[in-house]
Amino acid sequence: MRITAIIDRDLKKFRRNPLVIAMSVVMPILYLLILGHSFQGKLTRLPVAVVRADEGAASRRLMENLRAVAAGPRTVDLLPVVDAEAALAGVRNGTYKAALLIPADFSRRLNRRNRPEIGLFLDNTDAISAAGIEAVVNGALRAVGEEYVAVREKKDANYLREVNLFRQIDYFQSLVPGVIIMAVFLGSLTTGAFNLVMDRFLGVDESYMLTPVTKADIVGGLILSGLMITTCIALLIFSLSVLITGITFQHFGRQFLLLLAVIVLTTLGLLSLMFLILGRFSHPRIVGLLSGFLNVILFFPSGAIYPVASFPDWLRAFARVNPEAYAVHALKAILFKDAAGPTAIGGDLSFLTLFAGGMLLLAVLTFRRKI
Amino acid sequence: MEEKFAVEVCEISRRYGDFTAVDGISFSVATGEIFGFLGPNGAGKTTLIRMLTTLLTPTGGDARVAGRGVVADPEAVRRQIGVVPQAMTSDLDLTAYENMDIYGRFYDIPSRERRQRIAELLETVGLTARAGDLVASFSGGMRRRLEIARVLIHRPRILFLDEPTTGLDPQSRRVIWDFLLRFREGEAMTIFLTTHYMEEAEEFCERVAIIDHGKIVVIGTPAELKGQIPGSDSIALRLDAITAPLLDAIRALAFVRTVNVEGDLLRAGVDNGAANLLAMLEAVKAQGGAVLATTIHEQSLEDVFIHHTGKALRDETKKVDFLIGAGAPRRLGR
Repeated sequence: MRITAIIDRDLKKFRRNPLVIAMSVVMPILYLLILGHSFQGKLTRLPVAVVRADEGAASRRLMENLRAVAAGPRTVDLLPVVDAEAALAGVRNGTYKAALLIPADFSRRLNRRNRPEIGLFLDNTDAISAAGIEAVVNGALRAVGEEYVAVREKKDANYLREVNLFRQIDYFQSLVPGVIIMAVFLGSLTTGAFNLVMDRFLGVDESYMLTPVTKADIVGGLILSGLMITTCIALLIFSLSVLITGITFQHFGRQFLLLLAVIVLTTLGLLSLMFLILGRFSHPRIVGLLSGFLNVILFFPSGAIYPVASFPDWLRAFARVNPEAYAVHALKAILFKDAAGPTAIGGDLSFLTLFAGGMLLLAVLTFRRKI
Repeated sequence: MEEKFAVEVCEISRRYGDFTAVDGISFSVATGEIFGFLGPNGAGKTTLIRMLTTLLTPTGGDARVAGRGVVADPEAVRRQIGVVPQAMTSDLDLTAYENMDIYGRFYDIPSRERRQRIAELLETVGLTARAGDLVASFSGGMRRRLEIARVLIHRPRILFLDEPTTGLDPQSRRVIWDFLLRFREGEAMTIFLTTHYMEEAEEFCERVAIIDHGKIVVIGTPAELKGQIPGSDSIALRLDAITAPLLDAIRALAFVRTVNVEGDLLRAGVDNGAANLLAMLEAVKAQGGAVLATTIHEQSLEDVFIHHTGKALRDETKKVDFLIGAGAPRRLGR
């Protein structure tokens, strides 16, 4: 079989390149670790200078509340500063993200209900940190007045009861679907059509075109070898991510099969898409140029990091045709909502199947068997 | 059934925009023949070979290769031919054996037959010991040998070689020709090649066509082509003394057309210089003259090429020099 000859060739060449194998596995895992640690979804250890001129009871309670935050979720690090000017200078030069100034009359004004005021000087160039610190200080301040009133005793208030439908997922775990898709993307980019570009670049393709090998053999062989390699890498990445983040499974057999289906369909779709885009090129530099661009336009609007619902309209429209968005949605359902079966991901699987089939057909139809 | 012609080309053209690479060429190659296409770089040789081997579609005309149309039935043509392109095309990340094996699989050769055929071919090209080595470790000559062996795996009826020996040292060129001729004997194969080595065309090709600016300038056997151009071979003799009776004796020889003298050098335009050299030397001896050195310049395809195109193909002419005399070193070179 001619197609198996091509598959065999690509697998051999891949196996002979241990560096590529190592990088294909290490890069998505590094991505998980770096993204997970640098951008954890919650803010921690933001340095806040505290200039406390008031030793009264209210000031003490405010500080206790802030210290609780610093010790618990550790959103802020409280750094006592004596001089208000020094604290502000520290915010300006970037030593602190904010300076909290508690004036000498704060407790007195609070007791007298005479517009008590404290100053929070924020480094507003870092919008995320500023918003985080503001929320922490506001929370601490609100609690100063309500300290002795238990929430449940307020009979006239409305209560919100939060019910988590699924197991608690930490930020690291929530990144795993994205990391798997990242592995699928990298695999699809560096196998399949890339081998064709390299064959052209090295002039190897001419000798193959001179044989009875057909268009379908070439496209099919390259895509199938890419599918095998990428699926193996993605499964390896999945296993490592599970070990690192400690995801647990309720129905492992079913979840694994569905996960495999999503990986295979997404890989097939992306490999075919790459073939369609790269199928005419003969220089690896073009692959380098396109890889960054394609990764940004496919990965960031996929919902792997930020919810698709919060995108602006035009980006949401793009997400509707982005195979990675469907893949991420399906993987989240499979990994984190164990009870959610085919009903939750039926739409995703249908789209991925149609996308893969359509792209594969286009790739074969548009491929020119000429040099 | 074996066709009379392995290759029949009818008014074939290939245009790239305003540029015409191949301009309405017609010729045919008999089955079993070694046919050479000679021409300078850019003459259209590679474009022609790519059209005949189905890599390029002609913009005009047609060709039949092994009895099948290159435009109408390219797949059938591909099954009958073996092609060694000009650039090295073996896969560096695969071993010699794997390079051959993938080719055999492309031609659907069953695995047992494939193994046997690969072993035979690697043996013939002297690469058996390197079968398991990556091609990345091969020299240019070894790679070329492997590539020729590779295209013979399916016993093609016609072998196309696009400048098969360009860039190789004379020894590697010799080795490649040795086994090309050996294969041809065993398989009754037609060989179609392009080259810009005149000696190669003259020595191995049964017929040659000279191509320039996309057109065939002249076509025939090397002997025919050389015979068609006026003038002849020349013999130059360096003598101890040139006397009038000696000159008369030389002029009297039937095969001598012209005689020129420059100092102690006598240059004679002759028919068939190699065959008549001895007669000339004897004529000198009979007149008491002593020959210090002799040069024969034979008519070559280079001269044919210059005659037809008005320019040299390469800066090489075929010269045979010998020094004659007691104790003088004997030198044979080109």
